[in-house]
Amino acid sequence: MGICAFTVLPVVGAVLAIVFGSVARVKIKRYDLEGSGLARAGITMGILGLAIPLIALFLYLRRDGLREFISEFFNWEILKGAMPYLLQGLLYTIKVAAIAEVCILVLGLIIALMRISRSKVISTIAAVYIDVVRGLPLLLQILLVSFGLYYLLGLKQSGITTGIIALTVCYAAYEAEIFRAGIASIHKGQMEAARSLGMGYLKAMRFVILPQAVRRVIPPLSNEFVALLKDTALLSVIAVPELLQRAREIMGNKFNETPLVGAALLYLCVTIPLMFLVRYVEKRLAKGD
Amino acid sequence: MKTEPMISIVGLYKRFGHHEVLKNVNIDIKPSEVLVVVGPSGSGKSTILRCINGLEHATGGHIYIEGTDITDPRTDINEVRQKVGIVFQSFNLFPHLTALKNVTLAPIQVKNIKQEVANEKALQSLAKVGLKDKADAFPAHLSGGQQQRVAIARALAMDPDVMLFDEVTSALDPELVSEVLDTMKALAREGMTMIVVTHEMGFAKEVGDRLIFMDEGEIVEDGKPVDVFTNPQHPRTREFFSKILSHL
Repeated sequence: MGICAFTVLPVVGAVLAIVFGSVARVKIKRYDLEGSGLARAGITMGILGLAIPLIALFLYLRRDGLREFISEFFNWEILKGAMPYLLQGLLYTIKVAAIAEVCILVLGLIIALMRISRSKVISTIAAVYIDVVRGLPLLLQILLVSFGLYYLLGLKQSGITTGIIALTVCYAAYEAEIFRAGIASIHKGQMEAARSLGMGYLKAMRFVILPQAVRRVIPPLSNEFVALLKDTALLSVIAVPELLQRAREIMGNKFNETPLVGAALLYLCVTIPLMFLVRYVEKRLAKGD
Repeated sequence: MKTEPMISIVGLYKRFGHHEVLKNVNIDIKPSEVLVVVGPSGSGKSTILRCINGLEHATGGHIYIEGTDITDPRTDINEVRQKVGIVFQSFNLFPHLTALKNVTLAPIQVKNIKQEVANEKALQSLAKVGLKDKADAFPAHLSGGQQQRVAIARALAMDPDVMLFDEVTSALDPELVSEVLDTMKALAREGMTMIVVTHEMGFAKEVGDRLIFMDEGEIVEDGKPVDVFTNPQHPRTREFFSKILSHL
C-alpha cells in the first residue's frame, strides 16, 4: 500500500502540472504574454515527476531481477579474473582484423579493376562475385568457408587462416565497390591526359588515377575497417579464439555474464578512438581537396 | 621540292551512334605548318584532334602520322602518342603532383629517362612557358593560365613532332588568354608543327599558316587565314564570320 501512495500521488501531481503547464503555454502564446519559459519549466518538471516515480515503481517490482542483473553483469571479481584472458582475445581480434584488412585491400582493388575491365568476361566474373557475396549473410559465409576449406585444404576449422580468409572473401566485395566508385569519381580527362602522353592503361591507372582515387576512398575504407573489427566477433561461431569467443568461454565456466560486459568495454576501447581518427582524417582530406 | 606531309588524313569518317560527326575529312599537314581549325561548336573540330591522338577511333578512313597508319589495329598507339602532344580545354593536369612531377611523369615512366635528366629537361620546358619558379607548386595553387602553360610544358617534355591544341583558351578568364597564346606563338616561331582548334581569330590571322573552316563534320573552306577572313568563298563561312565579327 505504501508504494502505491508514494507513486500515485506524485503521478497525479505530475499529470496536473503537465496539463496546467500546457494550457498556460497555449494561452501565453495566443495572447503573446510573458512567462512562456516558466510554463515550459512547469511542463518539464511534470514530465520528470511522472517518469521518476514510474521508473522507481518498475525497479521496485523487478527488485529480485535487478539484484540478479547486477551480480551477473557487474561482478568485479569475475571481471578482474577474466581481464588478462580477454586482453589476449582483444590482441587476437586486432591481429585478425589487421591481417584481413591487408588481404581485403589487395583483393578488393583487384576485383574493382576487374569490374571496370573492358573485357566482358572479366568484368562479369567480378560482378557475379560481388553480387553473390553481398547477397549472403556474413555468418553463413563464415560457416561455408570454414567447412569448405576444411574439406578442400584440410585447414583447421577454427584456425586464424580460416577466419581471415572468410572475412577477406566477404569484405573484398564491399571494398571493391568502394574502390570502383572512387575510380569512377576521377574525371575522365585525367585518363585521357595520361594516355595522350603515351602511358599505357595500367601505368595511367597506377600513377594518375589510383593515387587520386585512393585518397578519396580513405574515409569509407576506414569505416569499413571499424566494421571489420567488430565483425571478427562472428568468427566465434567457428570457435576462433578472438575476444567474443573468449568472453563466451569464461561465461560458460563461471555461469556469469560479466565477461560479455568486459568484452564490450574492450571493443569500445578500440572502436571509439578509431571512429574519432576516421572523423579527423575525413576533415583533413576535405580541407586538402 | 615537295615535302612529305607530317600528318595525312584520308577520307576520315566518325560516327557516334547515328550521329555523323566527321564526313570524309581530308587534310595534309606539312612539317612546321600551323593549321588553325575554326567552326561552330559541334562541327567536329575537336573530334579530328581526338582521332589524330587515338582518343577516338575513326569509323572509316585513315590517319597517317609520319607514315604510320594509326587506324591500323596493329599500330602501337602508345608509341604514336609520344610523337603527338595534345593540350586540352580543361588543362587536365594531375592534381596530386607538383608542376614539375606533372612534366616528368611521362618521360620517366614511358621513355625510361633517369629522374635527374628528366628534372633538368622539365625545368627547361617550364622555363620555356615562363613557369620555372612554379616547379614545386601544385595545380590547385596555380591560375588557369599557369595551369594551361604547365600542360603545354608537360606535352613538350615528350619531344613531340606535332602539337594539338583543343580550344586551350576557352576555359580561361579573358585576362589570362594572352599568356597562353604568347606561349603558343613562341612555339610556332620555333617551327613546331601545330594544329590549333580555336575561337581566337586574332591568333589564327597572326600565327596560322593555313585555316580550315568546318561545319557539320565537313571541311567547308581551306586556305590562307587572310584570304578566308577577307574573302570567304562559301556562304556558311560568310555567315559564321559575320556573326563573330559583329561581336567585335
